[in-house]
Amino acid sequence: MSDTTLKLKRTGLPVPLIVIGSVVLVAVCLFPFWWMGLSSIKTLRELYTIPPIWWPSMPTLDNYYTVLFESNIPRYFLNSVVISLGSTFLAMMLAIFASYGFARFDFKGKPLLQSFVLVGQLLPTAAIIVPLFVTLRVLGLVNTYWGLILIYMIITLPLSVWMLTSYFRAIPVELEEAAIIDGASRLGVLFRITLPLSVPGLISVLVYAFVTTWNEFIFALIFATDSSVKTLPIGLAEFSTEFNTDWGAVMAASMVMTLPIAILFLSMQRLFVGGMTAGATKG
Amino acid sequence: MHRKSTGYLFVLPALLVLGLLIAYPIAYTGLLSVTDNQGNYVGLENFRTILAARATPTAFFNTLWWVAGSIIFQVILGVLTAILLNQNFRGRAIVRSVTLIPWVVPGIVAATTWAWMLHTEFGIINYMLTAPGIIDEPVGWLTNGSTVMPVMIAINVWKMFPFVAIMVLAGLQSIPNDLYEAARIDGASFWEEVWYVMLPQVRPVIIAVTLLLVIWALNHITIIYAITRGGPANRTLITPIQIFRTAFESVQFNQAAALSVMFFAVAITVVFIYIRTTAANAGASK
Repeated sequence: MSDTTLKLKRTGLPVPLIVIGSVVLVAVCLFPFWWMGLSSIKTLRELYTIPPIWWPSMPTLDNYYTVLFESNIPRYFLNSVVISLGSTFLAMMLAIFASYGFARFDFKGKPLLQSFVLVGQLLPTAAIIVPLFVTLRVLGLVNTYWGLILIYMIITLPLSVWMLTSYFRAIPVELEEAAIIDGASRLGVLFRITLPLSVPGLISVLVYAFVTTWNEFIFALIFATDSSVKTLPIGLAEFSTEFNTDWGAVMAASMVMTLPIAILFLSMQRLFVGGMTAGATKG
Repeated sequence: MHRKSTGYLFVLPALLVLGLLIAYPIAYTGLLSVTDNQGNYVGLENFRTILAARATPTAFFNTLWWVAGSIIFQVILGVLTAILLNQNFRGRAIVRSVTLIPWVVPGIVAATTWAWMLHTEFGIINYMLTAPGIIDEPVGWLTNGSTVMPVMIAINVWKMFPFVAIMVLAGLQSIPNDLYEAARIDGASFWEEVWYVMLPQVRPVIIAVTLLLVIWALNHITIIYAITRGGPANRTLITPIQIFRTAFESVQFNQAAALSVMFFAVAITVVFIYIRTTAANAGASK
């Protein structure tokens, strides 16, 4: 991306504008998290003073103690991990096969089926949440891990299929043809040749699916009303919707919830962003 | 060697799951919308009831306001950020990573953190505005009917403009260098380059992203629901939240289904425009 500029001195934004722009941008993006972190280590008295205190004189971990040992948050954390991993894994398996089918085979109705997948991705949650609830209640899946895992596949599977299809398409078909001539089966080709070559694509899909399910709020609000299956977003909302909000604990819980996602995302960023932009712009 | 039936076998499991979890619920919504809670056919009764509700037109105009306000600022700020990040400067990689953070964090975390910052008495935002005298006294951002919607829009813009930025940036970086060279030979300034080279070249991306944002804004419940639940006095009630509350707070599944059907018709129209547009773009770029 930047090697083009070496050949030709390009006109650009004046340096002061770049500096000011970057500083404002970083401040706007990070300030809420900085404030979240600061608030999470303040004592109750320091949280509720006017004017607000910029730096706590006695940083405390009491709020984290409350969140980790005196609330349901650890249990919800575990639920979130189980549900996110479960649905990510299932969506991944289905997406691998479907994307391979879309990328490597021509069959009748393929464009229509692909459009159907895309529509699935864009469908308004609000339009299907009522019938899904009625159906899951009949099946006895409300307040179970399986219920949420299944539901979360709807929101991650379509884009996963879309991203992986464009990834598989970019792998030269000749490699597979050679293996088939050597007597490999279709599945053998998929698992021994295509998948090892697609590791970056697979990782970006994993990150996408995990982050999306970890963050999901509305379905969880309806399908997990029992504390044995509630996820972290619901736990966080519980803290703050009670009449007397304990803001220190809320901010500590927010930190606990954000850290895994921030670490996962920042370490996988290049792959993830590459996959997203490819999936969304190639169509 | 490409037997056709094998292709179906590969895509079948995923399509079955999507069919069961998407196509079936949609059909079921249709059925719910024309029956009562005993399952008897009642024609358009549910539609009449929900359209007569006082909240419905309020929610409709709130939704328009919410979608339009969000989109305009998300696109403008996103494109400006992309142009900035397309420059070469030290630390660009870090700035780009940081820019993406609002977009990846959970919506509920964004909602609670902003709610705390906007707290009337102890919030940092009121302090930052009152201390230098920009406003005279603290504003009840989340309780005042005239500020609550703009504040919700601002939070949504903060959350989503990074997505626009990253998409437009990808578009900017795929612009062939000859176009810049040609512009420079003609003596174009930087802003002329932005206007005559960059923006026209990324127009398809901007259009596609804008449509996506419309769809997402129509879907977005988390921020508003977590902060205000549609209040105060329905000032932030948007249609998806009305559906949600009709179904799960008033337990009127059939009226909620009727509202869902109308909402779905609008949303699906935007979805089809999006698909047509992106298909046309893909065709044009090949």
